[in-house]
Amino acid sequence: MFVLLRQLARIRREAGLGRGRPRSVALRHVDAGSCNGCEHELALATTPFHDVQRFGLDVVASPRHADVLLVTGAVTTRMESALRTAYEAMPEPRLVAALGDCALGCGLLGDRARLAGRLEEVLPVDIRIPGCPPAPDAIAEHLLAGLDALGPGATGGRAATARR
Amino acid sequence: VNRVDVTAGRWREAVQARLAAGERFAGAWATGEPVRSWRAAFAVPDGGIAILACAPEAGRVPSIVDLAPAADWDEREAHDLHGLDFDGHAPIRALAGHPEDAAAWTTPVEGEGVHQVAVGPIHAGVIESGHFRFHLVGERILALDPRLFYKHRGLERAAEGRDARAALGHVQRACAACAVANTVAYAMAVEDALGIVPDPALRRARTLLLELERLYNHLNDVGAICAGVGFAPGAMAFAALKDRAQRLNAQIAGHRFLFGSVAAGAGVSAIGAAAGGGARERLRDLRADAAAAWRDLEFTASMQARLDGVGVLTFEDALRLGAVGPAARAAGVRSDVRAHSPRLAYAGFVAADPPAPSGDVAARLQMRAVELMATFDLLEVLLDRPLAAGACRPGAEPGPLGAAIVESPRGATLAAVELDSGRVVRLRLRTGSYANWPALAHATAGNLLPDFPLINKSFELCYACVDR
Repeated sequence: MFVLLRQLARIRREAGLGRGRPRSVALRHVDAGSCNGCEHELALATTPFHDVQRFGLDVVASPRHADVLLVTGAVTTRMESALRTAYEAMPEPRLVAALGDCALGCGLLGDRARLAGRLEEVLPVDIRIPGCPPAPDAIAEHLLAGLDALGPGATGGRAATARR
Repeated sequence: VNRVDVTAGRWREAVQARLAAGERFAGAWATGEPVRSWRAAFAVPDGGIAILACAPEAGRVPSIVDLAPAADWDEREAHDLHGLDFDGHAPIRALAGHPEDAAAWTTPVEGEGVHQVAVGPIHAGVIESGHFRFHLVGERILALDPRLFYKHRGLERAAEGRDARAALGHVQRACAACAVANTVAYAMAVEDALGIVPDPALRRARTLLLELERLYNHLNDVGAICAGVGFAPGAMAFAALKDRAQRLNAQIAGHRFLFGSVAAGAGVSAIGAAAGGGARERLRDLRADAAAAWRDLEFTASMQARLDGVGVLTFEDALRLGAVGPAARAAGVRSDVRAHSPRLAYAGFVAADPPAPSGDVAARLQMRAVELMATFDLLEVLLDRPLAAGACRPGAEPGPLGAAIVESPRGATLAAVELDSGRVVRLRLRTGSYANWPALAHATAGNLLPDFPLINKSFELCYACVDR
């Protein structure tokens, strides 16, 4: 285990990650019909080269604990109701982030009869993260910029308090 | 590729003869609306592909699931998406269709204390969407019914009517992690139909892309097994190694998932900088770090203790269910498409042997490590001189049907395409994940529910390229 931990320590040193800023934003991811590219990159955002947790962003297991719903993929007819259920399970105030070009409705491929429409037609979208797929650092940058633009109250008291 | 037409009445006999000759069932698909032909592809031991076809009679064809259990999902998909009925496949449980009634798609399991656990389609981690229905007594799994196709985007249907070269975009979008394998298989299928063959430069460039894809996938999959055990240092170390492999992809081909590099009937784009820019040196550093991280995993007793005897796929079951790729090789099935790929640059390739073909999680993990080092060796050779985009040239008889099989990180992937005046009439993509989902479900039975994440990660199958 010591070799692994030494490797991780070296990566942190070489990547020269900044300290980040304190806040607390819980993200819940829903794959609404992606190619799995956005999932790969989102998963990497929480690993040593990028470490989005230093900004207080983290992925949580339940929409009940989430401030932001991160949605990937073209919304399929099969995933539409599960997506709405996840959104309805979230406490207010809640935000929706469209992760990747498919969720943004750019260059969607597929049979019209199998797609529910762009994410924007299903849920209100607050943050847009373009890319096919967006790289892990781009995901972090767009999320942070989006949250900043929405102001301290956007994700409720916790974020507002942390940034006072 | 040659197609042999038989009557529906002689369908089973013809399939039986193929299987008896040592050919492997590689996929089946329906063509036409209403279906005018049901086709099955067989992988010939020397690397060729044979295709059988029959016309349904009153919307029915004889089932072959008893002869080739690997055809189970193909028949169920054709039933749900194309309305084809199969005599002898009863009851035919829903696969791509999602009926409300659970009895229509689950295995009937009865007995004292039997209960069900339903998981998904949304899971707790950053994972693709799909539903699992476990039948249990206590924590012991009796059977698992995976219900996929939540991500069904109708990509094959959307490709119909499009120019064969442009339709490659639909194949690429099917799955990010298998994008190169899927698009190379599709490109080779289109070239097969058009009667053109890739020149040596193109074979080499495509082989390089395929091995780069295998590299980051296998690094990812080793890390995923660590995550399945809950061993964070291993998961993080291999995630970081995978990230480095993807940065190398971006350097060599301009994209972290190698998107946009493969074209049908044309050379590979954006690969010029590969030999320069220190790619080989970065690859060597990556290899040294991966080898060190792997050695450390081997001596992490708390992790190793979780792997032995879990999620066993026996040699017989792997063969019977048509399992492919590292999962089949870990069960002792010595089959790797790369050993017979004349349209790629794998001359002299020999399928890797597992250290112990026990078919469990430990064997699948070991298999990945062995193949990872073989991929580093291949890349070293492929990068030893400057690369060129390559091209295709006339070399064979054109025909309305083309097919190709490529070894993806998850195993043999079939692409079949039917063309009319350069346009796609029908496209079928049957990936290594598609072949292995039934094997995963089978290997899960008899294990404890808390071991399922680990078993699942040891196969690490895609949902996206199954659902399409």
